[in-house]
Amino acid sequence: MVKGYTQDHIYKHPWERVTSASWRKFADPENKRTLSHILEVDTLNRRLDPDSGRLYTTRALTIHAPGPWFIRKIIGQDICHCVESTVVDAQSKSMQLTTRNVSLQKFIEVEEKIRYDPHPDNPTGWTICRQETSIRIKPLSALASMAEKVEQRCAERFMQNSAKGREVMERICSVGAQR
Amino acid sequence: MGLGKRDKKSSSTATSPCAHLRAAYHNCFNRWYSEKFVKGQWDKEECISEWQKYRACLSEHLDDKHLSRFLEAEGPVGYVFQEDSGNPVENTAK
Repeated sequence: MVKGYTQDHIYKHPWERVTSASWRKFADPENKRTLSHILEVDTLNRRLDPDSGRLYTTRALTIHAPGPWFIRKIIGQDICHCVESTVVDAQSKSMQLTTRNVSLQKFIEVEEKIRYDPHPDNPTGWTICRQETSIRIKPLSALASMAEKVEQRCAERFMQNSAKGREVMERICSVGAQR
Repeated sequence: MGLGKRDKKSSSTATSPCAHLRAAYHNCFNRWYSEKFVKGQWDKEECISEWQKYRACLSEHLDDKHLSRFLEAEGPVGYVFQEDSGNPVENTAK
């Protein structure tokens, strides 16, 4: 059983500004209150390919993911560790992020993919963001009997957090536009 | 089971031991990214010294988060997605 959904969003800002905002989304202090579920973000690895203009980055995210008491009783913790892998292609102007959980894999598998590309209708002024998320409760896990419910709740939470993330990005972009 | 007892939320307050070095690196990176990389200057890495100091700190302090194994991850996109050891979890790697 997999719950998946896709969200598209148009930023009325150029690709350069939007992708810069993406890097700053979790770190800007004034935005930390909005994205309070993100506890820590560390960069684990990064590599620049100077010939192709591609930047490869791996980051570790520690996320506070509380659930109802009976979920916590089964899982035993409120903290989830994720790894985010990113490729930015400065030549073709494309940024792709893939985030997966590396803890709690016994119970759940979440994958979120985000892409930022110049918007085809206005490539120098707008950016299109496409986000695809899939949530799967592991069939043999202790959560399997309530898989559908848990997946639904997770999806709702993810969508709320995505909306907060977009709000933060728009804020950062607006500040960037005024410079 | 799984990762067993995990860090309590309090371990991730602002007093992470590498926080200052991390901030220095991220600030440098953000400047380089928006002022050079996206404007066509992608031929040269910058923030090398900040990165090395930060990474050395991570190597020293990340063991308790079980993420130290990812410090060794190289490879094209850095997709390192390992199952917890010892648990009979079905492998659904893509």
